[in-house]
Amino acid sequence: MITGTLIWYYYICPREVWLMSRQLTPWEENPFIELGRLISQESYERDTKEVQIENIVIDIVKTQDEEVIIGEVKKSSRFIKSATMQLAFYLLKLKEYGINAKGILLFPKEKRRIPLSLTKEMEEKLNLAIDRINQIIKSETPPPATKNRFCAKCGYREFCWA
Amino acid sequence: MKRTLYIFSDGEIKRKGNTIYFESSEGKKYVPIENTQEILIFGEVSLNKRLLEFLNENEIVVHFFNYYGFYIGSFYPREHLNSGYMILKQAEHYLDTTKRLRLAKKFVWGAVKNIIKVLEYYIARGKPLHEIVERIANLEPSISIANSVENLMAIEGNIRDHYYDSFNIIIENENFTFEGRTRKPPKNMINALISFSNSLVYVVCLSEIYHTHLDPRIGFLHSTNMRRFTLNLDVAEIFKPIIGDRLIFSVINKGIIKPSHFEEKLNGIVLNEKGKQLFVQEFDERLKTTIKHRKLGRHVSYRELIRLELYKLQKHLIGEEEYTPFVAWW
Repeated sequence: MITGTLIWYYYICPREVWLMSRQLTPWEENPFIELGRLISQESYERDTKEVQIENIVIDIVKTQDEEVIIGEVKKSSRFIKSATMQLAFYLLKLKEYGINAKGILLFPKEKRRIPLSLTKEMEEKLNLAIDRINQIIKSETPPPATKNRFCAKCGYREFCWA
Repeated sequence: MKRTLYIFSDGEIKRKGNTIYFESSEGKKYVPIENTQEILIFGEVSLNKRLLEFLNENEIVVHFFNYYGFYIGSFYPREHLNSGYMILKQAEHYLDTTKRLRLAKKFVWGAVKNIIKVLEYYIARGKPLHEIVERIANLEPSISIANSVENLMAIEGNIRDHYYDSFNIIIENENFTFEGRTRKPPKNMINALISFSNSLVYVVCLSEIYHTHLDPRIGFLHSTNMRRFTLNLDVAEIFKPIIGDRLIFSVINKGIIKPSHFEEKLNGIVLNEKGKQLFVQEFDERLKTTIKHRKLGRHVSYRELIRLELYKLQKHLIGEEEYTPFVAWW
């Protein structure tokens, strides 16, 4: 089943999707993972947090003028594309349940908020991504390692390039 | 950078707050848990469950050695990296005899290549080892045609015998003559060093395996016998010549380890406390030594090389890339 996290990984590196699907987690000596969790816990304390619907987990949910707003909290905007598509994926899921929500990307450390609404174009992109993720997971071997700008700080770096 | 904690003195090791605390007649020592990679215990140390829980939480492996410096066993914390997929792949490559033999050959081949590298290094320094290299090189092709793991082990033993013939030529020190390999107990100083050095390489490989998704109980060259760690023995084959043996030659030739660092025990010869300490210190230095890695394009330590080797093995197991053992290029 496709999760928001898989969408997130997909836009960073398709190879990561395959590895994560096999629980081949990255080299973990990474203080940032813990930091990310703390930021998510300690920011926006007044809002409803961590709402789980089937296989998706939404960081923040609130209603404003009868409109549902969902928020995704991130440590930095470094992976903005991934973050955008992950949130768009949640919006799409909610739409399937008949909820027309709006999204907002939150970068508490950068004091930045980016509103997001689901567009037709995004939906198409997401559906393509979902197909592609399913293909990747089904494949016997991982997609080949390709260098991108995220490799430098990636926990799979040694695994991919050893 | 994380460090290995070596304990030689007798005393008590426990958790104090969020640090490891060691008390002996020589004093008190606090070691931050965040800086600790693994612990090697040589002394008579008492410890409690609270400490083990603490080490478990922080994913720290502890290796125990007896009074003579022989490996006893390890505290291998609960697996923190679990992938059912990887375990199945590892088991598949063990149970399928063709796949198993293919991997087993790689370990032997890597070991032999590195043995030759060590010999060539000493040839470059004027040691007459050409004939031994030739004898080993002549045996190398038989690795690829071995038809069983037992057969392969026999070839490896054969090669190792030729290799050991080179020890006296490399060392040239009448105090340290080598008359064939003796194990339990080692009958002379060289054998004592080889045994000690090998167990250090084994435990480092085991510690590194802990930080991967591989299961240390499933080896390919060394048979899995249901309970013992064996994968570390396989991987160690590749690193024993270039890390352990090179170090043995260097500590003797530089006069760091002397006959006074040994004692007669158990009808054999073992390193005394000072000897073990000196050797471990040099060993630790060697593990931290870095070389420029061609593919990664940065400097990596010998310890990291072991980790990279495990990653290559994982890639072989998942069917991504055929495993080629690390061969020193210097």
